[in-house]
Amino acid sequence: MQTRDTSPQPAFPASADQDATPDVHHKIGLLTRQLHDSLSELGYVDKLRGSVDELPDAQSRLSYIARLTGEAAEKVLSRVELAKTQHDFIAAETRRVGDLLVKDPVAAVATGQIFNFVADVDRASKEIDSHLTEIMMAQDFHDLTGQVIARVVNLAATIEEQLVTLLIQTAPTPAPAAVQARQGLQGPVVDPVAGDDVVTDQSQVDDLLASLGF
Amino acid sequence: MAELRFLIVDDFSTMRRIVRNLLKESGYTEAEEAEDGVAALQKLRNGRFDFVVSDINMPNMNGFELLTQIKQDEKLKHLPVLMVTAEARKEDIVAAAQGGAAGYIVKPFTKATLEEKVAHILKKLGL
Repeated sequence: MQTRDTSPQPAFPASADQDATPDVHHKIGLLTRQLHDSLSELGYVDKLRGSVDELPDAQSRLSYIARLTGEAAEKVLSRVELAKTQHDFIAAETRRVGDLLVKDPVAAVATGQIFNFVADVDRASKEIDSHLTEIMMAQDFHDLTGQVIARVVNLAATIEEQLVTLLIQTAPTPAPAAVQARQGLQGPVVDPVAGDDVVTDQSQVDDLLASLGF
Repeated sequence: MAELRFLIVDDFSTMRRIVRNLLKESGYTEAEEAEDGVAALQKLRNGRFDFVVSDINMPNMNGFELLTQIKQDEKLKHLPVLMVTAEARKEDIVAAAQGGAAGYIVKPFTKATLEEKVAHILKKLGL
């Protein structure tokens, strides 16, 4: 927070009631001084600065949420399209082979149509199952973004609480401050270019555990 | 293998369902869920389980505290605990390993990773 000139400045244009102006200036001056002193004494300058310093991190976290939800949506749509293609294939083949069976069941079996159909359905079913698994896995964004959203909300709440406390403390009647404690756990790595103290994929976890003898 | 009972601990129901479904696809059909460490401990002490899959960042009792409680409990300390978490700090991974975790998976993860870690842990335990 930048240091400002705390000397009293005219707050209102000169009015006919010139006698009231010195009193208003005096009060504004006192409030400004009180605010400045309170910020210094209570350490809120640093606390507010700390919260403000977290804002770029909050921006990064929100970008992470946007990226993750976007990727999840793309992944789900792609997999649904692929699964539907396979499903359409099964439906069409079922109709075709059904017609063959109605026309000439013996020929349908003898020409290998039934055998091929069974093999095709088996293959397509496995592919659909794989797509469904990927769609399910794509939902993990809810957990990851939920944790990040909780942190951003916590940051907003902290700033709000600090500002409210500051207002209360700097008002004529002081009230006790209550600043929310920070959490120790960090949650998901929102910045792909992480520092040395974090891992960015499972292979790094495995390497670290292996180095510890696990 | 099919008789092994898993306890999945995560405060997000979506993640519990994902893990549960993945375990089911891998042949582990017996699983229960708990939303935090407190609920997990209660279930562990009142039921029979063979494997715990736990998140770390949870309300009430986090995964580290749950791990500690399990490893300090004579009746539960034999249970393998696989941490599945978004916590990616090296110090957290080391802490989990030193605290007795059987494995550590960082979210987001793949089906193959979960399958591999569970199989590896079970093999080491001879289950």
